[in-house]
Amino acid sequence: MGSGHAGAAIMKDAILAVLPRLRRFCHAMAGNAADGDDLMQSTVERALAHGDQFQRGTRIDSWLYRIAQNLQIDLARAKGRRGTAVDVEDAFGLIGDDGEGVFRRAELAAVSRALADVPEDQRAAFLLVVVEGLSYREAADALDVPVGTIMSRIARARGRIDKALGRAGGIMQ
Amino acid sequence: MISDDEDKLAAFLDGQMDDAEMAAFEARLASEPALAARAETWQANDRRIVDAFAPVADMPLPADLLAKLKTTPSPVPAANDNAPWWRRHAVPLGGALAASLVALAMLAPNPDAGGQKDLAFALETGRSLTPVQLADGSTITPTMTVRAADGRFCREFQSGETLGLACRKDGRWSVEAQAKGSGPAGQGDLAVAGGADASALADAYAKLGASDPLGAAEEGQLISKKWSAE
Repeated sequence: MGSGHAGAAIMKDAILAVLPRLRRFCHAMAGNAADGDDLMQSTVERALAHGDQFQRGTRIDSWLYRIAQNLQIDLARAKGRRGTAVDVEDAFGLIGDDGEGVFRRAELAAVSRALADVPEDQRAAFLLVVVEGLSYREAADALDVPVGTIMSRIARARGRIDKALGRAGGIMQ
Repeated sequence: MISDDEDKLAAFLDGQMDDAEMAAFEARLASEPALAARAETWQANDRRIVDAFAPVADMPLPADLLAKLKTTPSPVPAANDNAPWWRRHAVPLGGALAASLVALAMLAPNPDAGGQKDLAFALETGRSLTPVQLADGSTITPTMTVRAADGRFCREFQSGETLGLACRKDGRWSVEAQAKGSGPAGQGDLAVAGGADASALADAYAKLGASDPLGAAEEGQLISKKWSAE
C-alpha cells in the first residue's frame, strides 16, 4: 500500500459513487448483462492498477468511461467481430418472471440487438450522451475526440439504430 | 448517407444548439415533413433505449466488486431485510454506506452554475452523488433526495466526515439533523464514519416521515424547476 494508500481510498470511494452508471454503460456497450459486468470489473481493475494515470481535477466517471470503451474495442477486435453472439434474451435476467420482467427483458434484448449493429466508438458516444446525459463537450473529453466527432458519431449511431429497430418491427415481433 | 442535416438533427435532439441555431432548425422542421418525421423517430428510438437501460443502474451491485472497493472494514448490511430504506443505512459502515446510497440514486453531470457557492447552493443545484465545490474550497456531496410527509423536499448530504439532512421551505434550506463522524483520521475525504451517525439521521428521517428516495430523473426535474413540484 505505502504512501499511495490515502489516494487509493479516495479513488475507491469515487469509483463506488459512479459504479451504477458505469455498469449501465458497460451493459449497453457489451450487449448483455454478463459481459457487461465483466467489462465493468475489468474497467475498475484497470483503474485501480493505473490510478497514477488519472488526472486530478478531471472527472473520474469520464476516465472510467474511456477505459471501458477502449477495453470493449479491444475485446471486439480480439473476437474479430462487433457486438455479441450471446443470446440476449437469456443473458438479461433483470427482474422476476412476472409480466413486466418479461417485457423488460424482451425490450432490453431488442435494443441491445440494435446497439450491436453500431460500431463501438459510435455506440460509446451515443450512450454517453443519450443514456448517461453527458454534454457533447463532456463526452468529447471522456472519449478524447473533438466535439464535432461526437456529434457525427451520434448521428451515425442513430441512423444505424433506426435501421435496426425499424427492421425488427417493434418488440412484439 | 450521413449528411450535415443528420449532424444537425443530432445536435438538436441533444440540446447542443444555441438559441439561433435552434430557432433556424425548428423553422426547418416545421416546413420539411421528412426531416420532422426523422426527428420524431430518432427521438422515440432514444427514449426506448434510455427506458430499457434505466433499471440497470438501480440493480444491486456485485458483492465481490463492492468488497474490492470498500475502504473501511465494516460489516455489510443484510441485502434483503424489510426495514425502511433509511434504517437499512443505520448500521456501522464505511464504503458500504456509499454503496447502498449509490444503488438508490444515479449520477448526473454537475450543472455548471454560478452564484454564491455555499451549502444552500449545493443543495439547490447539485445532483445527488455529484460533489459540489464550494466557494470556501470545501466539498459538499448531496447524497439523496426525499420528500417529507409535510410535502417539503429534503436532501441528505455529506461534507468530509459530516452527514446532514436539510429540508427546503419557501426557497430556503434548513439543516434538520447533522452527525459528525468519528472515523480514523487520514481516511479518504469521501469516507463516512461510524454507525451512530447514520442512526442519528435515521431518527430524523423517521420524524420527517420521509418517502423513499426520489429517482434521478425526478430529482433532476425538481432541480431544473427550482424545486417546484407543480
